[in-house]
Amino acid sequence: MLRVLLHYFLIGGLLFSAKAFYERRGVEGPEIAVRVPAQASEAEVDRIVREAILLNEARRYGWDRRDPVVFSHLVRNMRFIEPETTEDDATLYKRALDMRMHEHDPIVRARLLYRAREALAFVPEDRMPTREELEAHRDQHVERFERESRVRFQQVFLSRTKRGDSLAADASRMREKLTVLGDAPPAGLGDPLPGLRPEIVATPSKVHTAYGPELADAVGEALVGVWRGPVSSVYGLHFIKVLEKEPARVPPLDAIVAEVRADLLREVRAELRKERMAALRDAYTVHIERMP
Amino acid sequence: MPRPLLLVSSLCILAVAACGNDACPSGEVLNSIGQCVPADERGRCADFDPLKQVYWGDTHAHTELSFDANMQGTRTTQDDAYAFARGEAIPLQPYDENGAPTRMAQIDRPLDFVMLSDHAEFLGTLAVCNDPDSPAYDARQCVDYRAAQEFDADPREVIFIFVEINGLYLFPPEDVRYPALCGPDAAICIDAGMDVWSDIVDKAEAAYDRSDSCEFTTFPGYEWSGVPFNRNMHRNVMFKNGNVTSQPYGYFDEPYPKGLWDRLEEECLSAGNGCDVLTVPHNTNLSDGIEFDAEIAYGAPFTSDYVEQRNLMEPLIEIYQHKGASECLPGQPVPDEQCGFELLPYRNIGAQNQDTQGPPNPKSFLRYAYGEGMKYERDLGTNPFAYGITAASDTHISAPGFVAENDFKGHAGSGQPNRFLPPPAGFPDQEYLSPGGLTGVWAEENAREAIFSAFRNKEVFGTSGPRIAVRMFGGWDYPSSICDDEDLAAQGYAGGVPMGGMLEAQSGSGGPQFVVSAKQDPMGAPLQRVQVVKGWLDGDEYQVRVYEVAGNPENGASVDLDTCVPSGSGASDLCQLWQDPDFDPSERAYYYARVIENPTCRWSTFQCSQAEYDCNDWDYDSCQALEATGQSSYLCDCCDPSAGLNVDWCESVDCTNPEDLPEDEARCCVARVQPIIQERAWTSPIWYQPPG
Repeated sequence: MLRVLLHYFLIGGLLFSAKAFYERRGVEGPEIAVRVPAQASEAEVDRIVREAILLNEARRYGWDRRDPVVFSHLVRNMRFIEPETTEDDATLYKRALDMRMHEHDPIVRARLLYRAREALAFVPEDRMPTREELEAHRDQHVERFERESRVRFQQVFLSRTKRGDSLAADASRMREKLTVLGDAPPAGLGDPLPGLRPEIVATPSKVHTAYGPELADAVGEALVGVWRGPVSSVYGLHFIKVLEKEPARVPPLDAIVAEVRADLLREVRAELRKERMAALRDAYTVHIERMP
Repeated sequence: MPRPLLLVSSLCILAVAACGNDACPSGEVLNSIGQCVPADERGRCADFDPLKQVYWGDTHAHTELSFDANMQGTRTTQDDAYAFARGEAIPLQPYDENGAPTRMAQIDRPLDFVMLSDHAEFLGTLAVCNDPDSPAYDARQCVDYRAAQEFDADPREVIFIFVEINGLYLFPPEDVRYPALCGPDAAICIDAGMDVWSDIVDKAEAAYDRSDSCEFTTFPGYEWSGVPFNRNMHRNVMFKNGNVTSQPYGYFDEPYPKGLWDRLEEECLSAGNGCDVLTVPHNTNLSDGIEFDAEIAYGAPFTSDYVEQRNLMEPLIEIYQHKGASECLPGQPVPDEQCGFELLPYRNIGAQNQDTQGPPNPKSFLRYAYGEGMKYERDLGTNPFAYGITAASDTHISAPGFVAENDFKGHAGSGQPNRFLPPPAGFPDQEYLSPGGLTGVWAEENAREAIFSAFRNKEVFGTSGPRIAVRMFGGWDYPSSICDDEDLAAQGYAGGVPMGGMLEAQSGSGGPQFVVSAKQDPMGAPLQRVQVVKGWLDGDEYQVRVYEVAGNPENGASVDLDTCVPSGSGASDLCQLWQDPDFDPSERAYYYARVIENPTCRWSTFQCSQAEYDCNDWDYDSCQALEATGQSSYLCDCCDPSAGLNVDWCESVDCTNPEDLPEDEARCCVARVQPIIQERAWTSPIWYQPPG
């Protein structure tokens, strides 16, 4: 793995410093001609140009001639074209290059683009995020790290299976009991159900997963401090009293540092790709030819 | 970057006093492979509940890092797998010519925890074959492997290279070795495998929610994948946290389970750094009886030390997953109609891969292990097979928890060896296979410490997919009203032991009591009944009896085979206090609960109900010709008698001598799947040990 990173680092460094490299030497950057469809939009033209630059860079580094994937693919192509050939792989490969097969083959093209993009995205040590950067990233992208709101509520449950036909009547009586309960907890009321507690802290989505949408909606909408119900679920009828609602929040960095780091690195890679691509684009002279 | 940190870790091992958590920022600690990770603590979650909640997870899932998944076109990563488990949609093969996926997958609701279990054996092999700077990159096997990834790869060549490399699993332990491309001493692949392992631990860390919301928990892990002579011995290795062994030990490193346990015990349990680990065997149904053989290795019989180590390292077993159920075989030792559930008609994994049908080995099933385990306990003092129960998907498309019967997209490459080939226009997988199941855990909170402890203590249960929550306690003196009391759990713990526990003998008591409380999946079918399965040791014979304890097996519930619409009623929740009426205090025994749903359509029936075909048009020869091209159709798949739907076609076929029948009629004599299934949950057993 380290070897791969080192490799990408070197290549990425070369790509990144392309303009400076040319400027230092006092020479013009590479010049390429790109043919695009006449009707191509600006975005399409931009994509085609970017790919042409990356392909040119890949070829400048000789990847089209030295990459083993390219090698094996071109050899396979040659053996497909000439199934009876007795030539060895190296000879077939050389002949494929002579035929300029590597310039037009879609698999070779995809491979070269892949390697170039990987090189563009390599993160050098000095771009690895610091704690301050992680903190800032978390604060800037609250929506990515935000945890769902939570509700603390009491619950009384009446089982449909256990109570059968008397469920509705039992619910009416329970409602009356709860009305006069005041602030006292509903101890000893209702039926048990695996995992059901008289008082729980849960997110609306967790309530949804455990009991279904009706109860989740009811919990989300309920006023604090008031018994509400009965609310139906597949299990029976539920009465709920919300004690506290906690809004969605972002946890402290220590709790989510690995998550933030992984997210920021995704962005850093994207930025590096963009910066280095821009540097290359700047260094290149591109002649665009629109084809009818 | 993993390597320098690994070096730091190694140096710290040499000079413990000089290093330590000072190497990490405040609030973080150095794990065993040199990574700084946040410190974990118990009681951090806002919904902490000392009486425990149920959490749902999948501890058996593969991604692109597994050679078999990779060869079948899986390109989704461990990051994708975690995202899937949290509810995001991910791409699925096959891919089109431009590399765009042609299918997507999304779970119906998030999971609480996940362990990804990529095969340890080829983690390094895949890495070096994809690394242009690796000295093995140009090895013939690597070149062939990469060629097999190309758009125009010949499926036969793909299968050839797949068998050449993946087939190394099949070597007997004494001959097993890394692929030739790994070079002398396999150093190239072992080295690369350690880097991949370090990444796996990193990704598990990044996906773990350490905030007090505790929305998602991950465990680093992998699969040890020995299949000597096609007999499945696979087991997953699950670590509690980021303190792991430096290397993922696979079959090529340690060809016997005992070797694996020795390594884990030495480098993890005895390391004194907070490392904890357990192993979970699976698919014993395809082991041809060797998983529970009475030998350690090279014919050596079990010893006291060995059974103690096995009991310590391997507290759990996967009772059900994609490749069938391992609970029991009908008639072994007693008739049990529920043993036919997702029973594969194969003796070993090679037979499954080649569809060579034959009766499974009775010694491959959990009932056998439980019986034999009681004998070892009697003779050697410890039960090496006192397994708790889990279930999992064994997905090979990075889709943990993707177990819904009505959304089955195939276990791996949608039935195709090449990721670019279109999926067959019929079943996306072999008809005998299934989406797999889930594990339910009773834990105080959704955090590593609590969930892992539940695994170690066996307070876990498996389901065939639906989230049927079931609780079980065993004791001697529970009040008869316990099922009506809202503090059932508190009474359950106070008066006895939960599932997975050991019930000590109590003089002067009647039989032990068991309270089983279950609720249906809110998105699933109602419950039909609860059974208690009891096994006991009667001299040298072990016995089994199945008791119906709640619900009604004759509730009349059914499902329409043409539309998959269910009918009839069931229970949303069931609870029963049950006392063993046949208890003999001098006999070792175990008790586990099985909760059965009302009938529903199997995945194959769901797909057939939504497809258009007419079985009058079914022609076996045409279907064979289609299959030879790598394709299929719903007409072929749904009308083949093996799908269990076109059984009228077989009415006049006599299967006395199937080898003498024309090929199409012979299809009537192969195993048939159950077109209607009854999904279920299995609790870990509660064990009873007689005095002395």
